[in-house]
Amino acid sequence: MLTVNDYLFYILGAITALSGLGVVLLRNPIHCAFMLVISMVGIAGLFAALNAFFIAAVQLIVYAGAVMVLFVMVLMLFDLRHEVKAFSKGLASFILKLVTTGVMLGLLIAYITHTFSVDPSFKPVPTDPQQSMEVTKEVSQLLFTRYVFGFEVIGALLLIIAIGAVTLSRISGGTHADS
Amino acid sequence: MPILDTAIKVGLNHYLYLSAFLFMVGMFGILVRRNVIVILMCIELMLNAVNLSFIAFSRYNENLNGHVMVFFVMTVAAAEAAVGLALAVTIFKKFREVNIRFFEHLKG
Amino acid sequence: MGQDAFEITVNILKMAIIFLMIVQAVPLLVWVERRGSAFIQNRLGPNRVGPLGLLQLLADAVKFLTKENFVPEKSEPIFYYGAPIMALIPATLAFASIPLSVPIEVAPFEMFGRTWGPYTFLLQGYDLGIGIVFVLGISSLGAYALLMAGWGSGSKYSLLGALRASAQVISYELALSLSLVGILMVYGTFYFTDIVNAQTGPLNFHFFGKQVVIPWLPNWGIFFQPLGAILFFCATFAETNRLPFDLPEAEGELVAGYHTEYGGFKFNLFFIGEYGHMLVASALMATFYFGGYHFPGLTPASVSAFWSGVVDGVNAANILTSLTFFLILLAKIAFFLWVFIWVRWTLPRFRYDHLMDLGWKTMLPWALFNTVLTAVVMYISHK
Repeated sequence: MLTVNDYLFYILGAITALSGLGVVLLRNPIHCAFMLVISMVGIAGLFAALNAFFIAAVQLIVYAGAVMVLFVMVLMLFDLRHEVKAFSKGLASFILKLVTTGVMLGLLIAYITHTFSVDPSFKPVPTDPQQSMEVTKEVSQLLFTRYVFGFEVIGALLLIIAIGAVTLSRISGGTHADS
Repeated sequence: MPILDTAIKVGLNHYLYLSAFLFMVGMFGILVRRNVIVILMCIELMLNAVNLSFIAFSRYNENLNGHVMVFFVMTVAAAEAAVGLALAVTIFKKFREVNIRFFEHLKG
Repeated sequence: MGQDAFEITVNILKMAIIFLMIVQAVPLLVWVERRGSAFIQNRLGPNRVGPLGLLQLLADAVKFLTKENFVPEKSEPIFYYGAPIMALIPATLAFASIPLSVPIEVAPFEMFGRTWGPYTFLLQGYDLGIGIVFVLGISSLGAYALLMAGWGSGSKYSLLGALRASAQVISYELALSLSLVGILMVYGTFYFTDIVNAQTGPLNFHFFGKQVVIPWLPNWGIFFQPLGAILFFCATFAETNRLPFDLPEAEGELVAGYHTEYGGFKFNLFFIGEYGHMLVASALMATFYFGGYHFPGLTPASVSAFWSGVVDGVNAANILTSLTFFLILLAKIAFFLWVFIWVRWTLPRFRYDHLMDLGWKTMLPWALFNTVLTAVVMYISHK
């Protein structure tokens, strides 16, 4: 029988796929940005359907709540009247890119179908609220014991990125030239 | 029909199909679009597709390493988006042009 | 959602009622604000429409509904109409995940000739194991309403106001999240019901191996995290764009910020969203730091026993028990809403660079310090 997770996958999967297409095909970049926000919220819902509740919440906080706000703010600061054409010109190169991407997608789908024809179904897991807290605790155990080196390196990386972004915004010759 | 039931009930295959589709859509976007910011957004779409496949595999194998990997990918992607946007803003302030085809022909 | 028709119906009604709670809280809150601010400023406020001026908001709502619906010429209709709707969604979703009272245990009863089985109705919209991070994630989506409003209006003032407002919101989200990490460390769970249930009884904690019990203080979160509570409360002022952080709505500077080009009912929807965020912030403050729906001295068992003595029928007693605890939480929420309104009419507004300095250079380091301090104190006192 179809469970709630199945219905969630079909609805959210359709929304995410259509929004992904919208990111690529719409002309106005701000429309693309909002389509990407919808796509990311859809992916957060798909994470929740896969019982990864903490990662779904982190996706909402980090991606949909911070990274995309940054994208939308930067897009609103640009003057878009200079941009006339949205897509690279040339119908032949467009068709070539479309065909290439389509062929690669077909190869991936064939590979997935061929490899996982055995039994692709998920084993059921209990879904009471306490259980999702257990999953979070196990993920944090892994993060702090097996992957603690990567965790600390990520912290150092974020520090470097923060300093780098501030430095990039203070390059002379821009609007902060006199300050 | 029983064969339709196995096709409709959602398994690992379905998540991987969706992940592959989103990845290819993102790749097509990078090849076709001209605006720098939209190209960065297509990169983010590809990274999200990869995150989805990691979590799907993690659920299939009952293994939580996929969650940790997604955590790292998300952090690095956010950092890279920040630096990419800072670069795009700097380039825009200098050249007043966001069309990447313009930058293919710069000399010197 | 439930196993049979009765439970599903009640759950759907519950979600509708929770949404309507936010919408219906707004007229009351606006009345309290206008009368309260008037008394603070030594004047009377609206007192002509209805007794004590209570029907003033009804008159205002009718006025808003009958105003002309205009759209600016250079606007984008999708964003222009979508922004007020987007302003309501995060507040509603966040409020629905907070537990408002003890669950109602319904024993089997007879109706329409059938026995409806034992149910447990939770007084929240949905029960999430990851309550805290979900609320943080949903409230970070609130920045999009501002950006959509600013861009969709097609005017420079709106765009500037929206960019300022969203920069303020995402800056204070960091201080908000970090100040909640202290609560996470003390209670060790994201689950709201566990956090609320851990705040029952008298104040007890470990102190160098001994268990200290102070019987005359309740076991509330504010005694474990005083600095975190202050930081959280200040950060929620910035998140909801309330004074002293309301430069996005500053009248002298940006006309009205991101909602300059909105009139009539769409303008009202922005205010419903703002008061909804205030309601969520007050409910979170009460849940994390002030014991949620518990009151020192009352336990669910004792209240249930009291009501069983007054009314007969175990279902009626359970419903009245939940109602009692809901009223306790409502009193705490009302107190915090009054503090929001009180602060608005007392403090002057921050200048924008002072506001950003406060968020990044003061509250973020103090929130980090709070995290480290909590970790150190927990380590020392549990040794």
